[in-house]
Amino acid sequence: MPKIEEVKVGVQTGKTKLVAGLVQEALDEGAAPMEILQAMIDGMDVVGDKFSKGEIFIPEMLIAAKAMSKGVDVLKPQLTEGGAASLGTCVIGTVKGDLHDIGKNLVAMMLESAGFNMVDLGVDVSSEKFLQAIKDHDEVKLVACSSLLSTTMPALRDTVDTLKKSGLDGFSVLVGGAPITQEFADKIGADAYAPDAGSAAKKGKALVKAG
Amino acid sequence: MRTKRQNLLETINGGNPDRFVKQYEFLEVIMEAPLKTRPQPGGTITNEWGITFSWPQGQLGPFPVHDEEHRVLKDITKWEEIVKAPSVEFPDERWAAAIAHANSVDREDKFVTVFFAAGTFEMTHMLMGMEDALMALYEEPDHLHDLINYLTDYEIRYAQKIIERIKPDALFHHDDWGSQAASFMSPDMFAEFYLEPYKRVYKFWKDNGIELIVHHSDSYAANLVPHMIDMGIDIWQGVMTTNNTPALIKQYGGQISFMGELDSGPLDHQEWDPKVIAEHVERACTTCGKHYFIPCLTQGLNVSSFPGVYEATSKAIDEMSKKMF
Repeated sequence: MPKIEEVKVGVQTGKTKLVAGLVQEALDEGAAPMEILQAMIDGMDVVGDKFSKGEIFIPEMLIAAKAMSKGVDVLKPQLTEGGAASLGTCVIGTVKGDLHDIGKNLVAMMLESAGFNMVDLGVDVSSEKFLQAIKDHDEVKLVACSSLLSTTMPALRDTVDTLKKSGLDGFSVLVGGAPITQEFADKIGADAYAPDAGSAAKKGKALVKAG
Repeated sequence: MRTKRQNLLETINGGNPDRFVKQYEFLEVIMEAPLKTRPQPGGTITNEWGITFSWPQGQLGPFPVHDEEHRVLKDITKWEEIVKAPSVEFPDERWAAAIAHANSVDREDKFVTVFFAAGTFEMTHMLMGMEDALMALYEEPDHLHDLINYLTDYEIRYAQKIIERIKPDALFHHDDWGSQAASFMSPDMFAEFYLEPYKRVYKFWKDNGIELIVHHSDSYAANLVPHMIDMGIDIWQGVMTTNNTPALIKQYGGQISFMGELDSGPLDHQEWDPKVIAEHVERACTTCGKHYFIPCLTQGLNVSSFPGVYEATSKAIDEMSKKMF
């Protein structure tokens, strides 16, 4: 198996202790850093798909993301020299009044693995704080907002409304969370809805590419 | 007319119930029993395990706080130094209200019920944060096994005490094992880590007088049902519609019963509507049938988040009993 393929499979299967070494070996064999990074992103795409289909579970997704992160650590110096490709910045948070962080963290992890620079505002995030983060960071292409309670769905609606009427542009708004549906996302004017972390990464990428 | 207890037993044993079991009517939960400090709406508390909970005013429940300052267990390899189970010794006066409540119950009609939360899986993620608790399954399995056993031992010590004091008939045990769409871990991994400890603890409860184990997980967990049966659960409360409950009843009825099928999310909200509740109750009762099924909101106690929802649900179940029995 070519080394770069081993890197991809290592990420997919969560080989946290092996991926860094495989990335180094791929570099030593002359593979381009961007090519190796893309192999890892492809590996995480497979992980996201399998998660969406219920073939793997959260621990497998977490361990794959950790494996990728170990590989990225090895690649980072090379990527900085060559200019790392990025999908831009994504601001993420759980909306005001909601302290759930598990789903939001999984989505953040998958978006990062897909190539976004993440700005994680945490939980209980006001619409003003989302706006400020967009102003404070360069190249914000995506804002991902999560609501896990029926009682915080109005806060999600307010956040999307505030973002859309802010006069700021260049970014799309992705929403999700247990009580959220495509219908609700459409109703509040979000650009996209994702039912799980795997599809959030896909939707995020698609939004930026369509951008 | 059968008593609530009789009707429940007829329902879960495939006998001749004379009506639907109406949500939690068969359980008399002794909430006064001392266990640990419980969060209250609008407040922040740190409980006897050191876990901090915040309950924002106007929201549906408390959340464990897992920032760097508040997370109890940051390195599972050090759990023996950090995690200290609270004492299960409580003075007589702390038991008085629970004993009085238990003594007031007509046990021919209802099951005197212990409430125990949180279960071992929830405890691991309340102590560590969900990501660390789930990563530990792969990265530190030996330490995680040891921590789970320690938590199980604590529950058994607590069970000894409460069984001595109130001689309960049933256990209502909380441990959420999934999201609405999937279990948190694969069935194999669940079996590797949680099956044996749960078999041990539920056996202890049953060996010491508990007749009925009702386990709450308001989630998808259809893939875990064989393990639920194996560990001795009699009723899975909180079964959501995502599980395809009618199919579960067909496959596993007689080995376990299912209590739920009325997802609280779409029914229990600010603009709740008794007509919508009645439609859902009708769907649940007609698709799930009279045996091995208890129509119930998926909420983990006999309450609703919004006043009137629980009662409207019970009323709709009465209507379906009139139609179907």
